[in-house]
Amino acid sequence: MSKETSRATGAAFAKTLLLLLIIPASAWSSVFVRWSISELPPTSSLGVSDVVFLWKQGLSPVLAAARKQGYRVYIEVPIREAAAAAEQADKTGCSGIVLDLSESETTTLESDARKLRSAYSHLRFLILNPNGKQPDMRGSLIIKRDSVLEVSSPTAQPWIDTNLALIKVEQRSRHVQVPLYTFSWVDEGQQRTRTADDYSLAIAEAGAFRSDLVLPLEEHLQRGLTLNDAEAWALWKQVRSILRFSRDASTDRLEPAANVAVVVDHLDAGDEVLNLLSRHNIPFQVFMGSDLKGEKLQGFDILIVFARPDEETADRINSLATRGKTVVVVDAHGKSPWQSSQPVQVNEHTTSYIVGNGKVLELSEPVTDPETFAQDVRRLLGKRNALLSLWNGLTTIAVPYKDRREKLTTLELVNYAVEPVRVQVQLKGSFTSIRYESAEHGCCESLVPIKHDEFTEFVIPELRVAGRVHLGSE
Amino acid sequence: MRFDKRVAATLVVLFVSFGSSGQISEKKHLVYRQKYIMGTVFEIAAYGESSEQTLNAIDKAFQEIVRVDDVMSNYKPENELSTLNRSAQYHRVKVPQDLYRVIEQAIQFSKMSEGKFDITVAPLVNLWKSALSGDALPSPAQLHEAQTCIGYEKIELTPPDYIMFHSRCMQLDLGAIGKGYAVDRAGEVLASVQIQDAFINAGGSTILAMGSPPGQAAWLVHLRDPSHTVDPYIMLKDESISTSEQTAPSLLGSESAGHIIDPSIGRPLETHFAVTVVAPSGMMSDGFSTTLLLLGPTQGKALVNHTSNVSAIWLSPKAQVETAMNGPKILFGGKL
Repeated sequence: MSKETSRATGAAFAKTLLLLLIIPASAWSSVFVRWSISELPPTSSLGVSDVVFLWKQGLSPVLAAARKQGYRVYIEVPIREAAAAAEQADKTGCSGIVLDLSESETTTLESDARKLRSAYSHLRFLILNPNGKQPDMRGSLIIKRDSVLEVSSPTAQPWIDTNLALIKVEQRSRHVQVPLYTFSWVDEGQQRTRTADDYSLAIAEAGAFRSDLVLPLEEHLQRGLTLNDAEAWALWKQVRSILRFSRDASTDRLEPAANVAVVVDHLDAGDEVLNLLSRHNIPFQVFMGSDLKGEKLQGFDILIVFARPDEETADRINSLATRGKTVVVVDAHGKSPWQSSQPVQVNEHTTSYIVGNGKVLELSEPVTDPETFAQDVRRLLGKRNALLSLWNGLTTIAVPYKDRREKLTTLELVNYAVEPVRVQVQLKGSFTSIRYESAEHGCCESLVPIKHDEFTEFVIPELRVAGRVHLGSE
Repeated sequence: MRFDKRVAATLVVLFVSFGSSGQISEKKHLVYRQKYIMGTVFEIAAYGESSEQTLNAIDKAFQEIVRVDDVMSNYKPENELSTLNRSAQYHRVKVPQDLYRVIEQAIQFSKMSEGKFDITVAPLVNLWKSALSGDALPSPAQLHEAQTCIGYEKIELTPPDYIMFHSRCMQLDLGAIGKGYAVDRAGEVLASVQIQDAFINAGGSTILAMGSPPGQAAWLVHLRDPSHTVDPYIMLKDESISTSEQTAPSLLGSESAGHIIDPSIGRPLETHFAVTVVAPSGMMSDGFSTTLLLLGPTQGKALVNHTSNVSAIWLSPKAQVETAMNGPKILFGGKL
């Protein structure tokens, strides 16, 4: 991701410039603050340089004032109004346009964005997925408006609202851009003021999952910060420590490590199977059906195929299974090459075929229980292929990252309970050095690795909101 | 027997309609907080004289739940339960009153159910827990060995607070009763600071209702309904409900390693029922719900009919309904 630095000054400027020169694009995630009032605090105090204003007529003076303060200013706008907004952004020296993605516009979005990029080459055009969730650990008891109480438990406890599945889907759908999303704060009638923990969790999540975030800031907090209100600044000081932590993510070009491939016909970030795989810390990557035709899926242990296979992709599935993969074909119907093997009826809806060194499991219906399905996938992986296992991690989601040599180097963790927990981690691989970094205690505390077989175990003594483990091997 | 109720989360829907918000006493302030304890989300909604006082009370209640967890969790190697599990096979171990009380009550459930409810089932639970997390299913030899370890009659209680095991490999697991005790203790803490109307929810599996919302006779609680058609509900006041349900069957495997183990056969219980029990306290409803799931409707109904102030409902995904009501009446909003 390119970074403008023209307004920065002094040593900070030089340092920033140096970093920009040596760090590859998309090495870190960015937080864009959505601002709605006409004044802003100094950028150095806010600790955020990118602000986003919702598009409206007569916005120019506000944009100009923000620019003057040193902010990189973006206009958020639906695609149909993007040309007008780009015109204004161009005139006022804004940094870019955030294109608000809505379902009806998805088909033409990429081509529209391309045209805009070509017409306004010095503006950045970022595509925003507005369908994120407020990250949260939710109970089942919800206070509703008018003091009506409601309890509803959607699945096993504790329920985690996470954006990891959305980010995985965005990673597949948009190669040219780091995923960018936003969410609305859930009110449920509680009329509750957002706390530092709420903001911190949102920032920590985006940082840990290497995504960009448009963070909605409540208006009264914006006013408090602008008017130098002590309480507002006390809150923001806590948030800034997470902002710093997230910005300090590894500067290497890292990729999320995964050994489960999910192959779909349609990218749907709301898919509960993807959500439950995320919640169960099963490292997965999303692919389209057409990806089966290439070599991309060779490095995965399990393929979950929701896409309807055609003749060519069915052959490819058969070939992958022959080479030792486990393939789960969901809602499978019709004839397939693996069916020439001896079928074993596993249960009412599942048939198993041993194919070469691997196997194909056909589930004859859609996934009716994503929670159980996710647990089944973990069982299919078995202990030998479990890339990552957590104990006491029911409220924690962790993502391992690998370098260009396919070696795990970093583990990012987010604790949605936002209270200190002691988490035991097991990673596949042999690591001699485990260093733990957190927003609260900085970098780094050395942890003791315990190695057994092909795995390394260690205990994170205290994970509050976000933690990062640096892995070293000889 | 189960190792916890986490997987069998109750799908409970509670809806308290006040008619209009204006009917709520202006003196009462509703405060809601949640906290992750015992591997689940505990939630407390309470009415008090002021928000600050109510919030303080809720904080104290959470502290009490944390304290109970510190004593009774079998994930904490240095706590009292773990010490008991390590040492009681060799000599009498003095335990905290809390722990003694819960174990004593658990043995009562074991006697009532002729051993179906059994907190000594931990060796079997551990074997099946490994299977749930991807290990191979336990072998017959492993199961036989584990079964020789267990049996509630091998626990010797010496009042007021000494316990000894007459088995070299027995271990206790309080997952089937611990949350119930924790919500009771939290309720006592709230009552001690003059909170009379509150609702404590232990991850949906056990709920304690104290008093009622202002202007209402009781808390209206919709119970777990795997069929989504029957809609059982209850008016709850100074009572508790708990739900037990076996882990859902595997979609891709042939055999499920469910989390509720039947000690008489050494294997996960096979049942499609979800059981919800209404009882005077959290510990009672919690213990009864597991007991009645293990016993099944025929034996379970007989037990409920001999126990005052307890009601129970067994409900299957295909809307098979069995009830036993010797206490609060369970009502139905949907098709029966």
